[in-house]
Amino acid sequence: MVSTATAEAPQSGRALNPAAEAAANHIEARGLNKTFGSFKALEDIDFTIKNQEFVSVLGPSGCGKSTLLRIVAGLIPYESGSATIKGEAVRAPRPDVGVVFQTNNMLPWLTVRRNVELGARIRNMPADARDAAVDKILDVLSLTKFADAHPHQLSGGMRQRASIGQALVLDPQILLMDEPFGALDALTRDKLNVELLRIWQESRKTVMLITHSIAEAVFLSDRVLVMADRPGKIVEEVTIDLPRPRNAATTRAMPKFGEYVAYLGKVMGVAS
Amino acid sequence: MPGVSSRLAAYSQVVLFFGAFLLFWEYGVRYFEVKSYILPPISAIAVAVWEARSEIFENSMYTLAEVLIGFGAAVVVGVMLGMVVYVSPFAQRTIYPLVTALQTTPKSALAPLMIVWFGYGFISKVAMAFLFAFFPIVVATLGGFAGTAKNLEEHFRALNAGPWRTFTTLRLPSALPSFIDGCRVAMPLAMIGAIIGELVGSERGLGNLIMLGTASTRTDLVFGCIIVITLISLALYALIEFAAKSVWWRGIQV
Repeated sequence: MVSTATAEAPQSGRALNPAAEAAANHIEARGLNKTFGSFKALEDIDFTIKNQEFVSVLGPSGCGKSTLLRIVAGLIPYESGSATIKGEAVRAPRPDVGVVFQTNNMLPWLTVRRNVELGARIRNMPADARDAAVDKILDVLSLTKFADAHPHQLSGGMRQRASIGQALVLDPQILLMDEPFGALDALTRDKLNVELLRIWQESRKTVMLITHSIAEAVFLSDRVLVMADRPGKIVEEVTIDLPRPRNAATTRAMPKFGEYVAYLGKVMGVAS
Repeated sequence: MPGVSSRLAAYSQVVLFFGAFLLFWEYGVRYFEVKSYILPPISAIAVAVWEARSEIFENSMYTLAEVLIGFGAAVVVGVMLGMVVYVSPFAQRTIYPLVTALQTTPKSALAPLMIVWFGYGFISKVAMAFLFAFFPIVVATLGGFAGTAKNLEEHFRALNAGPWRTFTTLRLPSALPSFIDGCRVAMPLAMIGAIIGELVGSERGLGNLIMLGTASTRTDLVFGCIIVITLISLALYALIEFAAKSVWWRGIQV
């Protein structure tokens, strides 16, 4: 088992042994409802994401999948039901959860390095630990050469990679990603999918990825949750039984990959 | 990127244009026999300025001090008020409409009042410069804070950043470009305020010199003062432009 619990502070009085923790559901929603005024955004959402599992939430735009992620991230409240992380009700953003948004969150006046270490500074990580973590992340994301550049000097793909770096620098156990590659062109998106896969295979975080790309969801995930809109609810759950480690050349060429993509396409067509 | 030669061409166009303008002024007033108390030739103005140079310099420094102190006070009070209005809905409902109402009154009309309150001296002109410069700075500061990108605010929330950290790391740098824009508008206004104050009632300053020049039909000296005021305003504006260079991320969206 790969240990990712480096910076993990005890979250509550409840001490779990590592085995129990591994078996525990990291993210769980039960009968979750959310309305904006009279608009029902989410209805009776039920799902669990296990420790170190990669789960994608796939759905058409406006189906409430981003709302779902924001609830899990503790950024917006919900009306009824429950959302829990490691068995604790989500009420506010947590230090063991990293969030990557669709729009990159670079501060234009800071260099790439200062942007990537932002979270570490805000969470008061000691300077030497922070510098080491940032060096490693910049290297992993092939951004070392651009550490002293400013965001507007980078391509969209590089900025998005740096945004992922902002989340990874804190080494969170759980990574929530809201269409992180949604604004990128298809080629850059494919490349970053491969990079994300590599990072995940090395660090084995629990990932919840929001996406509207079927191929992306199949390529990366252990499981795909399909959402329908008005109101947003989960209509299908597909376990992606493709061997790991996956890679760009072979995995996408597998007949089963095509079958999953075709099947999810059919579900989405019906669902949306 | 314009090359050296094309930049040289651009400069020479400017020089040629102003040269032609000054020549037209100089020989136009002679040719059309314009009376010198209406519009003196530019050479006469230059002579008048040179002859009164120590007097003009002294009064310039006096006016400059009024402008800078008034502007500085407007920055301090304006930024503070902008912040208070931004963070407090109560201030937004109460103080802000009051400030807006004050803005819509013609501030020139307040000049006699300032003299009644603060006397003929220095303070009443500082107050005038302050009144003119204050509002654009409040509006620009407030607009800068309010314009903080929503996705970045959410990002900071997701990182559990406290209000102070969010303010210094995110909101303050976000507001700076807008604040500098406010200074750009406010700086020439501060000069206008100080001069109006001096015209209404003063013992020193370039506005006072203009009043003295007018009373003794020294139109050449009046024009000289106007030109000096314009040059000082331009220099102050250039100073703001220079400061604005350090806020290079204006308009950059990533």
